[in-house]
Amino acid sequence: MLQPLATGVIVAALLLALASLIVAIRNRAMGMVLLVGFAILEVALLVQAGITIAAAVGGEGPAEKATLYGYLAGTAVIPPAGVFLALAERTRWGSAILVVAGFAVAVMTGRLLQIWAGHA
Amino acid sequence: MIDQSDDTKGERVIGTGAGRALVAVYGLFALAAGARATVQILTRFDEAPLAYSLSAFAAAVYVLLTVALAMGRRTLALWALGIELAGVLVIGTASVIDAAAFPDETVWSVYGKGYLFIPLILPLVGLYWLLRRR
Repeated sequence: MLQPLATGVIVAALLLALASLIVAIRNRAMGMVLLVGFAILEVALLVQAGITIAAAVGGEGPAEKATLYGYLAGTAVIPPAGVFLALAERTRWGSAILVVAGFAVAVMTGRLLQIWAGHA
Repeated sequence: MIDQSDDTKGERVIGTGAGRALVAVYGLFALAAGARATVQILTRFDEAPLAYSLSAFAAAVYVLLTVALAMGRRTLALWALGIELAGVLVIGTASVIDAAAFPDETVWSVYGKGYLFIPLILPLVGLYWLLRRR
């Protein structure tokens, strides 16, 4: 697992959550900036999943892989699902959904690092 | 498309606006609890059958609530919220009294402590959302 990439994912996800919160407080629906931001986050998550799975198959990481793969799949699903709901809900509450999505990706990536290090 | 006619006639639709944010949070918990229960049951069910069965039950309640809220099934959502609140209180208390029976964290252990106590707050928010202005 790549520590710098994981750290970057956590920081980006928290920044996106904060930006979404500001947009929600200003009573706006999701705009282009957030849409592109979450798209970039998703690309980073997929790259991270690819690198991590390759390393895990190569014998690195925790003995029990199921939880690891579960977290990788979970984090990769969240941004598209959040954006999909935010597109359906063109109000401040759509932006609020992205606050939840960004925060969840940050927390789950943090847990992912712990699981990788064996502190399951 | 989704039929919202029966339960919501003459009332506010519950699956849009702030309700859609609630659907998102419940969807997230359905994912988290469901994945956790699946791993627990597939890899080490024998260690704590009761706790892991309850884990799966919690996941099922979250899935049911996500669907009920998204489809605007008010009565179903109210029942599920009641079960969720009872579940988090009963299992939270049980896990405090008899920690040995819950060796691995479930979503509802110690009133959802591992999830920032959101499992305890969520049913209250849900009940408020469904029962407001009636």
